[in-house]
Order: sequence, then C-alpha cells, then structure tokens
Amino acid sequence: MADHSQFDVVIVGGGVLGAAVAERLSRTSARVALVEAETDLAEGASKGNAGVAVSYYGAPDTQQTQLINASNPGWEELTGRLDVPFRRLGGLMVALNADEGQRLEETLAEVHACGVRGELLMARQVRDTEPLVSENAVAGLLLPDEGVIDPMRLTIAFAWLAAANGVSIRLGERVLGIEHDGDLSSVITSCSRLCTRFVVNAAGVEADHISALAGGETLRTWPRKGQYVVLDRAFGEKLTKIVFSTHTLQTKGSNVVPTTHGSVLLGPTALDIEDRDDRATDPETVAWILEHARRLVPATAGAYIMKTFAANRPAGDETHRLRIDAKQPRLVHVTDRSAGVSISPAAAELTLELLNAAGLDACDRDGALDALPRMPRLRTNPDPVVLTDVDPLYGQVVCACEHVTAAEINAALAGPVAATSVDGVRKRTGAAYGRCQGSLCQAGISFLTAMSTGKGPASVLQTARGTVGS
Amino acid sequence: MTAPYLVVGAGPTGLGCAVELATVYPVELIDRLPVPGGEAGWSIPEVTALMAEARHRGVRFRLGNAGVRWEPGRLLVAGPGRIEWLPGERLFYAGGLRPATAADQSITGDRPAGVLPATVAHHLLAAQNRMWDRLAVIGDGPWATTVATRARAGGSTIIAITRGCKAPAWADEVTTQAAQITIVGRDRVRAVRVRAKQQWADIPCDGVVLAADPQPNRNVTGALHDDSPGVAFVQPVHPVSVVERGEAGRRTARSWIAANGGAR
Repeated sequence: MADHSQFDVVIVGGGVLGAAVAERLSRTSARVALVEAETDLAEGASKGNAGVAVSYYGAPDTQQTQLINASNPGWEELTGRLDVPFRRLGGLMVALNADEGQRLEETLAEVHACGVRGELLMARQVRDTEPLVSENAVAGLLLPDEGVIDPMRLTIAFAWLAAANGVSIRLGERVLGIEHDGDLSSVITSCSRLCTRFVVNAAGVEADHISALAGGETLRTWPRKGQYVVLDRAFGEKLTKIVFSTHTLQTKGSNVVPTTHGSVLLGPTALDIEDRDDRATDPETVAWILEHARRLVPATAGAYIMKTFAANRPAGDETHRLRIDAKQPRLVHVTDRSAGVSISPAAAELTLELLNAAGLDACDRDGALDALPRMPRLRTNPDPVVLTDVDPLYGQVVCACEHVTAAEINAALAGPVAATSVDGVRKRTGAAYGRCQGSLCQAGISFLTAMSTGKGPASVLQTARGTVGS
Repeated sequence: MTAPYLVVGAGPTGLGCAVELATVYPVELIDRLPVPGGEAGWSIPEVTALMAEARHRGVRFRLGNAGVRWEPGRLLVAGPGRIEWLPGERLFYAGGLRPATAADQSITGDRPAGVLPATVAHHLLAAQNRMWDRLAVIGDGPWATTVATRARAGGSTIIAITRGCKAPAWADEVTTQAAQITIVGRDRVRAVRVRAKQQWADIPCDGVVLAADPQPNRNVTGALHDDSPGVAFVQPVHPVSVVERGEAGRRTARSWIAANGGAR
C-alpha cells in the first residue's frame, strides 16, 4: 500500500462525479485520495435527483452531449459490473396542447442532431405506449434509450470499487486550504494534510469555494433547489415509462419518473437560492408538483405520497464544467448541474485524459478490479429460497415494506465505504424507502447501525449530520 | 386436500380471522414476530383466549416469518434461516397499522435527524431512558400516550401538537387545531413551526415523534391493492379494543365463508 499522505491526485467531493473519477483513476498507476466533507458519500445532488440516466439533455455539439452519448450505451454493462440497479425504461415526452406539440417537433430535431434515437408519436400511440398518460396528450416524443438508475448506489459502488483498488476514501474531512509549492500541492483538511500533484474539483455547489482555495479561477456557483414528491410502489408498479413534460425555453419541467425501487418520483422544481443548506419543502410547491404531475399522468393521486424532499443541484455560470483551470494547470474542474449521473462514466474517462495531458502520466494497471461482487437482494431475487444457504440472515426481514434483510443491512454496514448512519443504510439497501417510511424498521436499523459503529441507540447517527436522540 | 388459507398477521384481528376460517378450511397463521398478539402483546387474556381457540381449531402457527411476496396460490415467507414458498388457497392480510407518516399528514419543511415514527420512538425508549429534553409529539393516535409517558418518565418535557380541538392528557404543553405543520432544523430538529388559529409559532424541541392517525400497513408484494387477486384485507383502522379487533377478523372470515358455500 502506498504512503497515504503522498498522492498523485486528490479528488475533492464524494458525489457521483468525484466517485466516478476515483473509480477510473483507481484502475491506473496513479495514487489517489477522495475527500468528502460529509460523513457519507452522495450527500448533495447525487442523492437528491430523479435518477434518470438521460439519452438526451440539450444542445448538440457540446461536451456535455458528447459525454452523455459516450455514457449511455454502456449502462447495462457498467451497472452489471457495479451491482447497481438500472432499468432502460425509455422516456416519453408529452405535449398537452398544440404549442407543446410544435415544441416537441423542434425538440425531436435537436434529439436527432445530438445523434440520439427519438420518435414522434400521435396521441393514440402515446397512450398505447404508456396507458397512464393523460387523454389530453396531443403528441409524444419517445426516447427509447432513457433509463433509470439508483444514483446513490451508483456513487457508492464507484467509491467502493475505487477503495478496493487502493484509493483512500476520506469521509467527514472538510478541505480547509490548498497550498502550492512548485509542482506539489498540499490539501489541508480538517483531519490531515495530503500532499498531491493534481487536484480534481468535484465539489458540486462548493466548486467555487474549492477553486478559490486552490488559487484557481473565480467560479460562480449557487444552489438550484428542487423539490420532489415520492409515490408508493403500489402506484409505481403500474407505470412503465419515464414521463417528461415538454421542455420549454425556461425549464425542462417537472416529470413523473419510476425509480429502480419501484416507487415514483414527481419533480423536480427549479428555484435558484442562496442558502446552500436550505433543503426544506413547502406545501405550495408540493401542491404544484402534484397538480403538474396530474396533468401528465392523472392517476398520480395524493393518496400515494410516501414522502417529500428537496435537494440542491450545483447551478453556476457554467451548467457543465469539465476542464483544466485557466490559472492552475494542475487543477481540474468536474461539475455538472443536472446531468452528473448521466455523464459520469465518460466524464471520468475524460478527466483521466485531461490529467494525463497535464502530466499525470498514469497508465492502466494490470490486475485492477473492475467489478464488485453481486449482493443478492431478497426483494428482487428470482430464486429467493436459496438465499439462506448464502447467509441465514436473509431469513430475517428487517424492512417489511421493501423486504430488506439483516444480511443486506450487515453488508451495508461493512466494507470499505460502510454506512455509519441509519440514512447510510437506507441509501445502500433501500430499507425504509417504503410506504411506512421506517415505522416498522427504523428501530431495528438503528440498533444494527449502533452495534456496528459502537454507539448507543440515542447517539447513533440518523442522518449524515445528526443523531437519533439528542 | 386443498392448500391452506393463509392469514398474515397474528394480532387480535388475524387471530380472530384465523379462528373463524378454521371452522371450514385448513389455516396457517403467519407473523413476522416470534409471538402472537402483535401490538396488543402476547400475554393479555384476550389474546391467550384467541390463541387457545386457534389451537383447538387446528390453526397452524408459523411465527417469526415475514410475508414477502404473494402470487395467487403461494406466499413467499422469510424466517430464521429459511425462506420458502407456502402453498395458499387465499391470503387474508391482517398486517395491522402504522402511524401516519409526515407525508400522510402533509408535514413539510426540513428533513433533519430527530424526527421519528412513534413505533420507532417506542422501541428506542425501551432501550434508552433519556432521548430528548423537549419532545414534540404530533398527533394523538394510539402510540402517543405510551411514547409520551415513557419519554416523560425519562425526563423529557412533552409538547402535544394536534389537528383536533381536544388537549391530550399526556402533555406538559399543548397546541391544538394545528392547520399546518413544518419541521425546522438543518442537521437536527430544533422546532416545529405550527399555524394554528391563523397564527404561526415556532415551538422549540429537540425531538419529534409522529403519532397521528393509524394507517393500514401493507407490505406484501402482490397484496398491496384492494383488488389484488386472491387477497382479502382485514385492517380495522378506528381505535377499537382488542376484543373488537378480534371480532372484525371473525366477521371478515364469516362473510367469506357465507359467500362461498357456508360452514361445513
């Protein structure tokens, strides 16, 4: 094992892009550390997004579109290797009036210009494709290559594989300063001083702050708050397509998105705010999301709501930023406002190319792991009766709604990027994602987490930042 | 020999249902807990009487097994060291109730640590005496009294926040007629913001327990909808006694029997 205070690359930020870069670099000769201020991975936009692996997002001839195009065909293979839930459901953009129908035709032209498959559907075909779509639909745009993915599992899997390949994953370490001395830099964190040749700024909405600490360009970033409503699996099992509203010039709109867990996400809204810690929902916005969703899919009744949440995506003067800093040649920025998940595999590849062009000189390493062991899950396993032969604790269902067993929870509490909080277990296993929102299982998860982390039932972490009791 | 009738949930409702079905059909009674009685507990006389009657009628108990997946004709159950498919003619689902979630109650705001469903708070209090200094209990459902009493015994001040007009007896401070409820706190909960009688007020607290209206708990895949094939639901929602819950289970079983050829 290399000396852990001496690195070739220090990645700042444990979201999906930071973790993807860590995974890619972990299969090279480079010595790498990833630093995350929160006590868990995927605590920012990577946990608060709709989990769509898009095939089309915006204008052709942009780096972002190139990265989406390069990432999209590989999801089945990648998520298979990383044991991450993924379903290529296809998306359906719905026009509810003649204006939107016109806009759909323009969008189709852009989709084709991006080199992406898309097909215009007449009203009847729209409802044949997804019978839950409103009878008011006048046209639709079918995007067959859109998929849904579990963005938290993706982030954690990237980091897990990186750690298995020797990357130092440092959670709960806030970057306080970055000093340069010739060709070397020191990243000073709340816990340590990491000597490195290159710094990757994957800090999301904190990218401005990290760039300033590193003496890089003055970036402008701010949080764009999105609120979401989550509907029960009882509704989700009826919906087969991602349903998008027609993009307008102002916004890409609020959507109806089946998740890999079977629930359905409505949202997000988009509101630029200043307070980076503001993740509050409000009843007016929740009502708007429901009303908007009902226009697209009238069956989305309020009775199916399991929870509401808000998250901030990293908006900025550039919505996508993947390049070497103009002032600091050994600082690489890797941020995307909304398409981080969708570009992550190709963005990691490009980051390696940029680093090598800047002199990293990393080559692929023989014998590096490129896959994680597949963790069987009771809920989705086609042959569940044999699971107790693997581990008798598969017989112990802890989360009754999502059928998450003690075997799965213990696995989440072990390993190189182990959960240290109840939420951490939730993100890794889907426990408490269901209708009762932890009413039955959260005590059990708290006890298992407390035992694993050596805490008591009141002092165990419930979220990345706060304990169950006070 | 036909496949048995399966009853999921061995609380008073499920017991009553199993006892009555067993007058006509072979019955297997399944519960995720290792003891019968559910939330009512296993040692109270009403439950032990139902147990004795069930045994007498030949009900087979399969305790410590969680129902996971229903496909017409069979139920996947998971129990200690063993996961198996049980053949079943029909599924009677008596999976009990849970407290209303924040979403059920249209509670919005932050999602900090320290906000717990009453059922969870109940378990944690049993293991740790003192969890909070000022505990806000939202709602006056059946779990509220137990949680409030235990937390107060551990030294917490209890604040009741309810939608209705009635002030619960278990609270030190009370806000009734709450029209809108918002959670406040970035990392840990620090207040509940309440609009009551056209006035907004922040009620400081360091813990929140969700203890409002019980909702039916449904969690067996394939048995989530009222019209799921081969499934009947027995989940009386309104606060009723243990005896009444047992009767509700019996009634559901009797009406099924009557509609399907009557008693043997």
